[in-house]
Amino acid sequence: MNSILGYLHSNVTPGEAGNLFWVAVYVLLVFAGVSFGVMFMNWFERKVMAHMQVRVGPMRVGPHGLLQPIADALKLIIKEDLMPANADKIVFWFAPVCVVMTAFCSFIVVPFGRTHAITDMNIGVLFMLGVSSLGVLGVIMAGWASNSHYPLMGSLRSGAQMVSYEVAMCMTVVSAVMMTSMATGTGTMSMIGIVQAQLQQHTWFAFSFFPVGFTALGVFAIAMVAETNRAPFDLPEAESELVAGFLTEYSGFRWSLFFLAEYTGMMAVSSIATTLWLGGWLRPFPNWLGGRNWDLAFSLVPGLTFLLLASFCFFFYNRMPRIRAMRANAIGLAAFGAVIAIVGIVLLLPGVRERIQDIYWFTLKVGFFMYLYVWGRTTFPRYRFDQLMSIGWKVLFPISLAVVILTALIGVRQELFALVWR
Amino acid sequence: MSDNQFYESFEELQQSHPDLDSKELVLNMGPQHPSTHGVLRIILKLDGEKVNGLECVIGYLHRGIEKIAESRTWTQFAPFVDRLDYTAAVANNLGYCLTVEKLLGVEVPKRAQYIRVILTELARLASHQVWLGTHVLDIGAVTPLFYAFRDRETILNVFEKYCGARLTTHSFRIGGCRWDAYEGFSSEVLRICDDLLPKIDEYKNLITGNRIWLQRTKNVGCISAEDCLSFGITGPVLRGSGVAWDLRKAQPYSSYEDFEFDVPIGSAGDTFDRYVVRVEEMRQSIRIIRQAVEGLPEGPIIARVPKVIKPPVGEVYLSTEAPKGELGYFMVSDGTPQPYRLRVRPPSFINLQALEKMSKGGLVADVVAIIGTLDIVLGEVDR
Amino acid sequence: MKFIELVKKFFMIDLLKGLFVTFSHQNPADLVTEQYPQERPVISDRFRGQPRLLKDAAGRTLCTACGSCALACPEKLIKIGSLRDPETKKKVLTSFDYDLSRCMFCGLCEEACPTHSLRLSSEYELALYTREGMELDLDKLENGIPRKEYER
Repeated sequence: MNSILGYLHSNVTPGEAGNLFWVAVYVLLVFAGVSFGVMFMNWFERKVMAHMQVRVGPMRVGPHGLLQPIADALKLIIKEDLMPANADKIVFWFAPVCVVMTAFCSFIVVPFGRTHAITDMNIGVLFMLGVSSLGVLGVIMAGWASNSHYPLMGSLRSGAQMVSYEVAMCMTVVSAVMMTSMATGTGTMSMIGIVQAQLQQHTWFAFSFFPVGFTALGVFAIAMVAETNRAPFDLPEAESELVAGFLTEYSGFRWSLFFLAEYTGMMAVSSIATTLWLGGWLRPFPNWLGGRNWDLAFSLVPGLTFLLLASFCFFFYNRMPRIRAMRANAIGLAAFGAVIAIVGIVLLLPGVRERIQDIYWFTLKVGFFMYLYVWGRTTFPRYRFDQLMSIGWKVLFPISLAVVILTALIGVRQELFALVWR
Repeated sequence: MSDNQFYESFEELQQSHPDLDSKELVLNMGPQHPSTHGVLRIILKLDGEKVNGLECVIGYLHRGIEKIAESRTWTQFAPFVDRLDYTAAVANNLGYCLTVEKLLGVEVPKRAQYIRVILTELARLASHQVWLGTHVLDIGAVTPLFYAFRDRETILNVFEKYCGARLTTHSFRIGGCRWDAYEGFSSEVLRICDDLLPKIDEYKNLITGNRIWLQRTKNVGCISAEDCLSFGITGPVLRGSGVAWDLRKAQPYSSYEDFEFDVPIGSAGDTFDRYVVRVEEMRQSIRIIRQAVEGLPEGPIIARVPKVIKPPVGEVYLSTEAPKGELGYFMVSDGTPQPYRLRVRPPSFINLQALEKMSKGGLVADVVAIIGTLDIVLGEVDR
Repeated sequence: MKFIELVKKFFMIDLLKGLFVTFSHQNPADLVTEQYPQERPVISDRFRGQPRLLKDAAGRTLCTACGSCALACPEKLIKIGSLRDPETKKKVLTSFDYDLSRCMFCGLCEEACPTHSLRLSSEYELALYTREGMELDLDKLENGIPRKEYER
C-alpha cells in the first residue's frame, strides 16, 4: 500500500520506479485510451472524408454517427469468421495477433507527459521502431497463410513497401536523435529525454536549423504514410487493383484486428513524429512565453476546447429537425453535449488543469497528424507499385541521408569552424 | 480460348495451349469488378507484372436491342435507344431522330435544333463528369467522384424538368422536340454554365497538376494516330492522339455550324492527353450552350410528321459526335412502319479494340487506368 | 526558372494546392446530402412516374377507351376492355390493365392519349413486395396503389 501511494509523489514513470501496480494501471489506461482513439479515428475519418467530399458521413447510428464505430465493432464481432480450407491454421490465426501485438507494444514507451508513460527506456525510439518493424512479419504471415496466389503477392508487395520506407524513417530518426545532443553534447534515445532536450534547446526540432529539421519531419511524414499502407501508398489494399491484398481471406473479427492494428500503427508513428519533432507534450512556447501567467493561460486551453466542442453539440442539436423519428438522436446529442461540457468544466478546475496539460497537448499534436492522414487519403491518387518503390529508394533515402549528414555537420560546427578558420 | 473447357491439370492446359509460356500467368479480371465500367471480362496474360496479352470478353449486357427494333415501330423504338449509352442518353436520342428524319426527308425547325443542341451538350457534360469521376477513382483519388456527381446532379435536374426523366430521357421526337423549353430553362442552364466553369478550373489544382496523377497517366496507354485510324477509333481517344476530327465540325448536323467552338487536340496519345482533351471539351461545351441559349430563335418545335411513320424504301447511315465518339445509325427501311434492319455503330465497341494495343507492355495497374481513359459504357458495347 | 521548378517540386506545392482544394470544400454550406425520408426531393411537373387515369369533376372517367395508348406502347402492356353503349353508340371503359413491371416510363402512352386522361404522375416510390401488385387495374390506376403509411 505504501509503495502504491508512495509512487504518487515520485517524479518518474512507473516502469522506472519499478512499481508494478501503477505499471498495470498505466497499461490498462493506455490500452483503453488507444482503443478509444481507434474508435474515434474510425468516426473521425468517415466524417472528415465525407465533409471534404461535400456530403455528410454517418448520421443515423447515434447523433451524427457517434455510435457508428460501436455498431461496426459489434457487427464485425458477430460476423462469421471464415478460414480457407487449405490455409495454414496456426499461421492464419497468429498473423492478426502478431500485427496487433506489435502495434500495441510500441505504446509502452510513448510519453503522454513528463511522467505519463508506462516506462521510459533509454533506447525508447529504437524500441518503437524495432517493434513496428515486427509488424511486417505479421503482414507477410497473413499473405502466406491465406494459401492463395493473390493475397501472397499482395502481402509480399506490402512487406517490401514497409521495409523500404522504414529505411528513410530510421535515417530521419537518427538525425533527430543527433539533434538532441546539440546543446549539451550528449544525446539520448529515450523518448522523454528527446522532449526534454527540445525544452532545453528552446525549440521544437521541426523548427531547429531550418530547413533541416523541417525536411526531416517531412520525410518522416511521407515515410510513415507509406509504412502504414495509407494513401497515396495504399496499392496493396486498394479495391480497384487486381491483386487483392493480404486482407482478402480475413473476415469478421480477424479483419477487425488488422484494422485495429492499422489505426494503432498510425497513432504509434504519429506519436514518434510528435515526440521527435513537435515537442511531445510541451505546450507551445514553454520558454519564450514562460512564467506563471502564461502557464495559467495555457492551462485553461483544454477546458475551453471541450466547452467549445460542447457548444458545437448544442448548435447541432438546435439544427436537428424536430420530428419524432429523430427524437432519440436529438436526446443523445444533447446528452453527449452535456457530458462534454461537464468534462470541460472539470478540466478548468485548478487541481486538474495542470495535470491534464501534458496529455492534452500530446493528443492534440497526434490528432494533427491523424488529420493529415485523412486529408491525404481524401486528396491524392494512388501510386503504382514500381513508382512507390522508386520514391522510397531514389528520393526519400537520399534526402534522409543528406539530412543526417547535414545534422552531423551542424552538430560539429564549432569544431569545423575551428578547423577551417584556425 | 474457350471458357467452357475444364482442364484436369496444369500440364493439360499447357499441352492444349502450346503458346502459353509456363512463366505466364493468366489472370481473369472478371465481369464483376469495381473498375471495369460495367460487366466487361478481361483475360490478361501476365509475365510477372507486365501485360503480354489481353483478351476482352463482352456480351454480358447484350439485350438484343437491334433485334427488338425489328418488331417495334420507328416511334416506339426511340425509348430503347436511351439504354445504349446510359450516361448521356440525350445524345443517343439525337442520333436516332436525326437518322430517321434523314430517311423521311423531314426538315427540323430551327428552335427545335437549338434546343436539341443545348440538351445534347448538357448530356456531353454529364457524360464527361461520369468519366472524370470514375476514371480518377480507379486511379485512387476518391474525392473528385463526388464533386463530379454533384455537378452532374444540376444537369440531371434540368433533364428532369424538361422531359420528366433524369437518365433515360427520351427527350426528342422524330421531327423535333416534344416539349418546348420550360419556364426558367434559359436562366437555369446559364446558371449551370456559370457555376460549372470555376469547378472545371478546380480540377487543375486537384488533379491535373498533381505529380502523382502525372506519374500515373503520362506515357501510359499510348496509341499513335495511325493505329487509331486503322482501328476506326473516334472521339476523344482519336483527338488525344493528334487527329483533328470532330463530326460537329467536319459534318455539321442540327445547326452546329452556327456555333463557334474549338476542338481540343492532344499530341502524345497517352492517358494524360485524353484527360486534358476531355476536360477542355467540357469547357467548349459550356461555350456552345451559352451561344445556343442566347441565340434561341422563336418558332415551332416540331415539324409535321405523320402519326404512323412509314419511310420510303431505302437505307441511310448518319453519325453524330456522341461524348464517347462517333455514334452511327444505319437504318434500312422497307416501307413498313417497322424498321427492316437497324444497326448501331457504338463508339465504345470500336474503341475497345484499342485496349490490347494500349496495355501491351505496360503493368497490370495501368490496365485499370486504360479502361478508364477509353471511357467505355457496356450498354453500348453489348447493346 | 529551373530553380523555381525545383523548389516547387521539393516543397510539394502541387500536392499542397490539391490539399487546399479538398480542405475548402468542407464548408457546411456546400453539403449536398438530402436526408431522404425526412427531406424529399422536389419533383417537376413533367416527371414520368406512376400512371394514373384521371376523372373529371363529376367523378366520371375521362378515358374513352380508344386504345391509342395500347397501340403506342412499345411493350404492349396496356389491355383495354370496353363495351359499346347501345344508346350513345360510344365505347365505355370496362377494364384497363397496365403491367407496371414491364413499363419503361417512356411516356408514349401519355403522349398518345387524345383526352389527356392517362397521365404519368409524380409518384416515384413504387416498390412492392409482390410481383402481382405490379399489375395495375382500373381501380388502382384511378385511385392510386394502396400504400401503408408507417409511423415511427
